[in-house]
Amino acid sequence: MSQTVLALQDATIQFGGLVAVNKVTFDLNKGDLFGLIGPNGAGKTTCFNLITGVYKPTHGSIKFHGQEIGGLPPAKIATRGICRTFQNIRLFSSLSALENVVVGAFLRHRTPLWTALACLPPALRETKALREESMRLLEVMDLADEAHTRSSDLPYGKQRRLEIARAMATRPELILLDEPAAGMNPLEKEDLQSTVKKIRDNFDMTVLLIEHDMRFVMGLCERIVVLDHGEEIAHGPPDAIRNDPKVIEAYLGEAHS
Amino acid sequence: MKFWVVRLVSLAVAFGFAFGADAWIAGSMPSAYRLAVLAGLFVTLAVSLNLINGITGQFSIGHAAFYMVGAYTTGFVSNQFYAQQPLGQPMWLIAMALLGAAASAVAGLVVGLPSLRLRGDYLAIVTLGFGEILRIVTQNISQIGGSYGMNVKPFGGPVQTLWVVLLLAFLCVSICRNLLKTAHGLPFVAVRDDEVASSAMGVRVSSVKVTAFVIGSAFAGAAGAMLAHAETFISPDMFRMDVSFIILTMVVLGGTGSITGSVVAAVVLFGIPEYLRTLQDPITKLPLAVPGQALLGSLVAVGLTVWGLREVSRRVHGNVQNRAVAYGGTLLGGAVVAWLFSVVFGLIPQIAALKFDVNMLRMVIFALTLIVLMLLRPQGIFGHHEFSWRWLGGLLGRRPREATA
Ligand SMILES: Nc1ncnc2c1ncn2[C@@H]1O[C@H](COP(=O)(O)OP(=O)(O)OP(=O)(O)O)[C@@H](O)[C@H]1O
Ligand SMILES: [Mg+2]
Repeated sequence: MSQTVLALQDATIQFGGLVAVNKVTFDLNKGDLFGLIGPNGAGKTTCFNLITGVYKPTHGSIKFHGQEIGGLPPAKIATRGICRTFQNIRLFSSLSALENVVVGAFLRHRTPLWTALACLPPALRETKALREESMRLLEVMDLADEAHTRSSDLPYGKQRRLEIARAMATRPELILLDEPAAGMNPLEKEDLQSTVKKIRDNFDMTVLLIEHDMRFVMGLCERIVVLDHGEEIAHGPPDAIRNDPKVIEAYLGEAHS
Repeated sequence: MKFWVVRLVSLAVAFGFAFGADAWIAGSMPSAYRLAVLAGLFVTLAVSLNLINGITGQFSIGHAAFYMVGAYTTGFVSNQFYAQQPLGQPMWLIAMALLGAAASAVAGLVVGLPSLRLRGDYLAIVTLGFGEILRIVTQNISQIGGSYGMNVKPFGGPVQTLWVVLLLAFLCVSICRNLLKTAHGLPFVAVRDDEVASSAMGVRVSSVKVTAFVIGSAFAGAAGAMLAHAETFISPDMFRMDVSFIILTMVVLGGTGSITGSVVAAVVLFGIPEYLRTLQDPITKLPLAVPGQALLGSLVAVGLTVWGLREVSRRVHGNVQNRAVAYGGTLLGGAVVAWLFSVVFGLIPQIAALKFDVNMLRMVIFALTLIVLMLLRPQGIFGHHEFSWRWLGGLLGRRPREATA
């Protein structure tokens, strides 16, 4: 008996005349490893933006544990337990790798600001605890050696993994990964596959990920939704998706245009 | 336990330093007392604006407005109530600093709440406008002196403000440093770097911005309170837009985000014009004047030296020695060029007949210093860094990027 974590019901958003996401409906159960695929411009990232509150849906509902979250401010949604990574990497460039992760972990801080301004022991203790916790996440993502490197000085693949570490630091229940393997070499991709599995299994998270690399998605995800021009054209396990004529046509159409 | 010992000792040192400096300067060089007060106030202003502009990445260009709110509020209150006040001078000054901070914090909230919620540079426009409106409105309220200004006369005898000013600067620096030292400071920097990513990590972006803005304004207000009581006279003209710009320049020049940078830049930028004002001819005791050929010669030399230094920083890499030789050589070359050109220009009688008062050239030299510094180090003296000996060593021994990559 599985529990529904996220439920999109007819989620729609329109930018002027363009319907970027059109009546998309799917459910995520606890512990799912869920893929969201589709050709370029299909509306995948926009879906993430709807779920994380960057945009407010024009129609439809987005429910997290049965509660409507569509249109809540992003910070509130993060506090409820949804966190994401960005397709076009958005790290805090002047902060070190470790500090980037601490920003995520800071979501759970308890000491008020004035104790920090006065440099009182509780704030210092909390800072230390958050840093240690973040350091452990860097270890999980294999970034411990780079803890004190400025995030903008990291190579591309490591920046992508740092994005994941930062999102995990908020301890989300649902983590959204937007093209986590983009720009990685095959070896790094393989590594990442096992890391994502590990995240789901060891950290008790539900994962929704966007990825263009079919081998990566098919090898990793248990269920997949395919979008094309904002509409959901297929939904099911990898094997069914692979042979779905509509999906083949959408991707072939892209290749021909 | 050790923590509290360190804390108490550093507080004692701060108080000791503040009182000591106050007594020493008042006793041995009273003419410098006012300058020390103003320098301390500019440190507070620059460091507090750095919290808003440098650390949190907002663009406020009307800091003088909050300086003014603090000055006028406390000046007015002092004039009304000091006569009935049983508090002694020290306590009264502290109370006024707090009142000035509170008044400006409220003003900061009123200005910041609506404008910080919007993206883009609304804050710049609003803060600039707020400063000008406030100044013009004040000019037209005769109860607080209008455009003639207002006397602040709470005490019969001399007012000893320097110690409060120094403690205020110390407090402002410590608060900013503490913020950056703890995890609580990271969201502020995160907001500067990327608002979208910050909010996705659960950072309440507008509340962080407003917090920084209100704290920064409060310090400007406390500084204003001390200005009013130190000068015992305030007028709208003391809070013109150019004061805001000088504070902003201090922040940018020090390196946005660097606390030590703001402190150093505040002292230097306040000090340069004041120092030039005091220069005298050793023989006649008149304000120092330079002959035309020396002025023109040094202008040429400054231009060439700046160009040379830029070339050196681009081309010469390697160890400290090589770099020191290259930079030193360029500076020496600049001096030689200045001398050569002043000799050459001296041959032209029209130029040799000119004399320039350094006192009059003050603002020109000030502006020139700024231009030179910005050309040589656009990221500010300290960049994003804080001063530390290790940082200095790293800067001097910097290696080319290609070698490390
Ligand atoms: N803020 C916006 N305003 C207007 N149009 C937008 C906006 N955001 C996205 N779009 C449009 O919506 C469509 C879907 O974009 P989206 O970024 O979601 O695609 P995607 O599936 O993530 O593609 P890719 O694989 O290239 O990342 C595109 O046509 C895009 O131009
Ligand atoms: Mg996308």
